[in-house]
Amino acid sequence: MLDPYELTVHSLTLRQLGTAEQLADITGQDVAEVEAGLEKAVAAGLVMAARGSYLITPAGREHLDGIYPRAFEGLRADPQVAAAMEAFETGVNKQVLALTTDWQTIEVDGARVTNDHGDADYDATIIDKLGRVQEKTAKVLRPLSDADPLVDRFLDRIGTALTRAEGGETDYVSGVRVDSVHTVWFQMHEHILRLTGRERPE
Amino acid sequence: MTATTGFRWLVVPEADMPEPSRELVGGKAWSLWRMRSLGLRVPPAFVVTTKACAAYFEDDDLPEGLSDELTAGIRHIEDQLGRTFGGTERPLLVSVRSGAAISMPGMMDTILDLGCNDKVEGALAAESGDPEFAAEVHRRFTGFYGRLVLGCTEDLEDLPDTAAVRAAIAEDVGEAVPADPWEQLRAAVAAVFRSSRSRRAMAYRKHYGIPEDLGTGVTIQAMVFGNLDDDSGTGVLFTRNPVDGTREPYGEYLPRGQGEDVVSGRVTPKPLAHLAQRWPRVHAELLAAADCLDREGRDAQDIEFTVQRGELFLLQSRPAKRTARAAVRIAVDLVDEGVLDPAEALTRVTAEQVRTLLRPEIAPGAAEGAELLAEGVSASPGVATGVVVDTPEAAQAHPGCVLVRKSTSPDDVHGMIAAAAVVTEQGGATSHAAVVSRALDTPCVVGCGAGTVDTLTGRTVTVDATAGRVYAGELATSAVDEREDADLQRLTEWAEAASPVRARADGAVEPVFDGDAADVGEELPAIPLGTKTVRGAVFCTPDGVRAALDAGVEVILTPHRLPVLLAAIAHDRRTS
Repeated sequence: MLDPYELTVHSLTLRQLGTAEQLADITGQDVAEVEAGLEKAVAAGLVMAARGSYLITPAGREHLDGIYPRAFEGLRADPQVAAAMEAFETGVNKQVLALTTDWQTIEVDGARVTNDHGDADYDATIIDKLGRVQEKTAKVLRPLSDADPLVDRFLDRIGTALTRAEGGETDYVSGVRVDSVHTVWFQMHEHILRLTGRERPE
Repeated sequence: MTATTGFRWLVVPEADMPEPSRELVGGKAWSLWRMRSLGLRVPPAFVVTTKACAAYFEDDDLPEGLSDELTAGIRHIEDQLGRTFGGTERPLLVSVRSGAAISMPGMMDTILDLGCNDKVEGALAAESGDPEFAAEVHRRFTGFYGRLVLGCTEDLEDLPDTAAVRAAIAEDVGEAVPADPWEQLRAAVAAVFRSSRSRRAMAYRKHYGIPEDLGTGVTIQAMVFGNLDDDSGTGVLFTRNPVDGTREPYGEYLPRGQGEDVVSGRVTPKPLAHLAQRWPRVHAELLAAADCLDREGRDAQDIEFTVQRGELFLLQSRPAKRTARAAVRIAVDLVDEGVLDPAEALTRVTAEQVRTLLRPEIAPGAAEGAELLAEGVSASPGVATGVVVDTPEAAQAHPGCVLVRKSTSPDDVHGMIAAAAVVTEQGGATSHAAVVSRALDTPCVVGCGAGTVDTLTGRTVTVDATAGRVYAGELATSAVDEREDADLQRLTEWAEAASPVRARADGAVEPVFDGDAADVGEELPAIPLGTKTVRGAVFCTPDGVRAALDAGVEVILTPHRLPVLLAAIAHDRRTS
């Protein structure tokens, strides 16, 4: 497992540019703890500070690459985790990407056009499917969440984004500048790839 | 309660009954009653009330007597249609759908074709003379039941037959679809009830302050068959043209077809004129119904209908999907027809739709003779010209450039925000690059093939993301001017009157905050306290407009005023 300091540096690989509060929101740590970690990491050259936000440096990435194999040794050797990742990549991950596309585009008279969110039934169907996939993901990733509590936290944050989208805040499905389903999903994906030492498939 | 029966848990929506309470029967059943009371023919149905739902949660089981009443309700439908539920001759199939007074997410979708099993499939095959159709009905029902009642999340739609669907369900949830139609029905009703207290429905209600115990009704309605004989068929009708919004009926008819056939694209339907020739009486009845529903619904309607042995049934009427152009046309027309007032018309057009209309295009003829450098899949439409860079850092350093990558990941998002267009070598319409570009409304072409990064980097190119092409050099573009389009102009006038914020091309009120000059990151820039005017591309997006309103900004500077005004009005409506 990562210690609190390592976890703080790691959180910057999930969110490219973040304030201490935003990073604490990802990991569930105390803001004060994150701030202390960031200060230490800046001094060590692992992290750069830029107007209240932080960025990881190439040295920081290298540092983490040295830590992961030890920190996640047990998890990486677990065949159930490997099977779960396989199921995630080939199943729910593809479903979420396809549903996000269905959310953003809609078929009118045979042509796919931008979804203007004028059809509430259509939107509700997509959000509903996303909700079912999210629930299924919790089952698929069980071997990982048993070993790492952050995985459940990501799923909770995806649920929060879904609830906001359901209330009409449509950019909480795929918006880039908010913690949308898609944004948090990608953070979670990056996190579990790092846990398991896998490459992102394209 | 109806005169027909003394039901405790059911309501049968007859045309002559008084208006049922939406709280008791739910919105869907209410609209069913509405169609009936307008004199339109809809397939017979009954509703299990929200009271039964409340009782279900008290006992943690279907309330006493409901099972018998379900039988009575079905008998009522059987009598009207001369069919038998679970029967081996002229079988009756039903749809089961949820319906609460307030529409809520997380509630169960519709189950179609309930009442099917091996024997019923055989009976359907004999009756329709089409074993393939009967097998398809059975396969589809099994999928609906597996997904909605048993909670299977596997993709069941693409499986070839009932056996394959059953196997996938067994594999995923370890349960089987019951063969007994009555058991199917009871389980479906209970599943609808339970869905009103799913984790997500509860979270939604808590978040939006909707009473926690708000239950749902269950509508059970006869399926009708358009594939029985030559005098049967199915179709869809738009009361207005969904492409350009013109007030003319527009639709398709499929003789000997079933509802899903039209949508599935398995067969090519005929224009409505075919129905007019073959069945002038049915055609006339349909057009009269369409007119009525357009007027009653106060919006363009998308109507599903089935003709069964020469008799017209209306299955559904709902606001029609439409292109951006049609949405604008219809909203303005409805004001001119005296149906809507201008404030209401503004709720019918979204900021996204107007943004779509204002998107520049390659000028006619401009692409002729231009050198085509790359070609791929259009992931987010639009046109942009710029110098090609191959890293997100370079894109940040040169705003307005074209970012070309092998593929993108969250590591590239800050560069994608700064870029005027995004091009990738790998990936399709669901790739990260596609999804993020659409969210940013940035033109994007994906899947241009290996070597694209090397070919393009350093050149000035024009990306025609609508056509999925990348040309050398700068091509002329043309755009709709919102000031020269009469419909957009009228909407803009109305929007100005209704908007909580002013949108202008120029004329700032000090102090001004420039979003483009702030750090380009994945977050919205923080607007300094006391800011009166904001400028910059980020404040023309829906989340930018929202942030500006929340910060108490008075003026948003933008070249296109209408999308900003509409986003502001929508946000205002949601928060007040």
